[in-house]
Amino acid sequence: MKGRSPRLTLTMAGLILLVALLFVADLLIGSTRMDAAEVLRSLFGNGTPGGEIIVTQFRLPKAITALIAGAAMSVSGLLMQTLFRNPLAGPDVLGVSSGAGLGVALTVLTLTPVFTLSAGSAMQGWGIILAAWAGAGAVMIIIMAVSARMRDIMTVLIIGLLLASAISAVVSLMQYFSNEAMLRTYVIWTMGNLGNISYPQIRALALSTAAGLIIAFLMVKPLNAMLLGETFSRTVGVRMKRTRAILLASASILAGSVTAFCGPLAFIGVAVPHIGRLIFGTTDHRTLMPGVALCGSAVLLLSDIISTMPGGGHIIPVNTVTSLTGIPVVLWIILGRNGIGRRF
Amino acid sequence: MAVTVLLWSCGHGGSPSNLTETVTAYAADRFTLEEMNGYTKLTVRDPWQNAHGTELYWYLLPHGAAVPEGVEEEQVIRIPVRRIICMSTTHLAMLRALDATDLLVGVSGPVLVYDSLILDAVSRGKIMDVGYEGNLNNELIVTLKPDVLIAYGVAEPAAGNTGRLPALGVKVLYNADYLEEHPLARCEWIRVFGLLTGREARADSLFREVSEAYLGLAEKVRNGNPVRPDVLLGSPWEDVWYVSPANSYTGRLIEDAGGLYLFSDLSEAHSVPFSVEAVFERATGAEIWLNPGTAESLADIGAADHRMTRLPVYTSGRVWNNRNRMTPGGGNDYWEGAVVRPDLLLMDFVSIIHPELLPEHRHYYYKRLQ
Repeated sequence: MKGRSPRLTLTMAGLILLVALLFVADLLIGSTRMDAAEVLRSLFGNGTPGGEIIVTQFRLPKAITALIAGAAMSVSGLLMQTLFRNPLAGPDVLGVSSGAGLGVALTVLTLTPVFTLSAGSAMQGWGIILAAWAGAGAVMIIIMAVSARMRDIMTVLIIGLLLASAISAVVSLMQYFSNEAMLRTYVIWTMGNLGNISYPQIRALALSTAAGLIIAFLMVKPLNAMLLGETFSRTVGVRMKRTRAILLASASILAGSVTAFCGPLAFIGVAVPHIGRLIFGTTDHRTLMPGVALCGSAVLLLSDIISTMPGGGHIIPVNTVTSLTGIPVVLWIILGRNGIGRRF
Repeated sequence: MAVTVLLWSCGHGGSPSNLTETVTAYAADRFTLEEMNGYTKLTVRDPWQNAHGTELYWYLLPHGAAVPEGVEEEQVIRIPVRRIICMSTTHLAMLRALDATDLLVGVSGPVLVYDSLILDAVSRGKIMDVGYEGNLNNELIVTLKPDVLIAYGVAEPAAGNTGRLPALGVKVLYNADYLEEHPLARCEWIRVFGLLTGREARADSLFREVSEAYLGLAEKVRNGNPVRPDVLLGSPWEDVWYVSPANSYTGRLIEDAGGLYLFSDLSEAHSVPFSVEAVFERATGAEIWLNPGTAESLADIGAADHRMTRLPVYTSGRVWNNRNRMTPGGGNDYWEGAVVRPDLLLMDFVSIIHPELLPEHRHYYYKRLQ
């Protein structure tokens, strides 16, 4: 935070503290009742056997996943919004999420459950993830190929939207011809899932999102230049096509990886960058990048806590919580500040 | 509870004369048969989920008999029927038990059919595939000229494709067997098929034999006052575990086989979404695990959700699925033949939960996971 205002440092520190608190709260609060002391004992290996499993195999992986996925999706959304200079852009506009969905649909809906579940167990935990990754990757390659040919970034956006619609149509068609069990598997995947992720999978998720985040952080200067328009960026020496390709790759890696492991966590990528801009009152990506990442983690951790409906034993899909709690917050911020248009 | 008492009286000391009483459904909640003057009135109640208080009436008349006054021709089915289309595999099992599969002209989604004779007739083109819920081949259905199409309702028929069929002259009889909570109540729907196909006496005696065998075994278990082990049911879907209520078909079988269903306190009309964490916490005390989804091995369960490998019941390996009788295409006799053999199904449950009570029994529908 060298050379920045004390207010900014304070806000950033506050956010870090908030994320840490929410992380701890996510461990303490679950859908079963367990007192705080027992959770802490379990965490350090001194709890009851049942308690230890619940804390170390259920709550901890879920909290870590929320932390990573929230940051990754939000930064991916921020990159998209700046790249397209469009406040409605998000990780899903390029069809990366749809591509991941197509990969999952291909595995879940076309292969019968019998086949999928007897096709060698080593594959299964990773089957859906790899399929989603492949789907997201394929879309990313198409978009980058288009982007390399097109001068105008808006054309890329439109082609991305068309691609996403086409993929959705194919998925609908597959849903139409599949049975109830397959449909349920697919629909539950689309609702988002933070829980059923093992530690080796978390490691893979962490590594791939780290790669995406590092690339994004290295791109803060060209991103700032882009806010002033492509012509200006060129005059200050930003090589547009190359920058665009790097940003698209970063955003796709982030969104594709998270979608592969957790399903499409839609709303967070569009909304959190706005929350970040409004909290920090700046469009400077040097501040926004870490700020938005922290906000994203906080929002997803909070959504996860709410989705477990503390103590009741039931659960609601995390995606619905993110949208239903996030929309009023964003509305409140936007209406309080007379709109977000001026910031683009 | 009322069902139990009713069944009890029918299984013990119930005489064949019961069959001629006006209201003749013993166990089934969803249908009644009323003997009228020269015809039978069939009432089907709440044939789909959330159909609160819906009643559908059918008048089953012999061929050539005059339609009674006040009855619309559309409500009449002439019996015995000669051409049937069935939408569910349970309906096929009932026809099969009555040796009436030659009346079948159409089935829905034959890939999920277990019966080899029916599959063979499908491959020879004797029985046509009429499509499935939401994707029915209405043209084919009409050209097959069925005397009756036996459907099952997931929702209001207007929402699905079967809603259009009556306007095309097809008589759609909703079979609510899958909504019946008691295994014997499901089985009792065979009596409707008996009436439709002119095999009434056979259907009645079959149902009676099965009821007696079922209730006799359940009584034997109860008299033994066994220690009731906790039984876990079902499998998670990502973060969610849809838990069947205690008064469900399988919940009932567990109870009658001397087990204690883990969610015996859950009384709802439908399954309830629980968090996997909450089910896991309860399941740590389970000694037996039944129906873990489509898993074929213990490794499959672990691969679908690694957290399940931490359950003591997983480690002990006392896990069974209902996939012992399957076709390569996915047809499962548990969803077909078992509906008319609840006694045999209960034997499977008893031999899983209390093997000492049936030491000679070899599992029929169930299979232990390796």
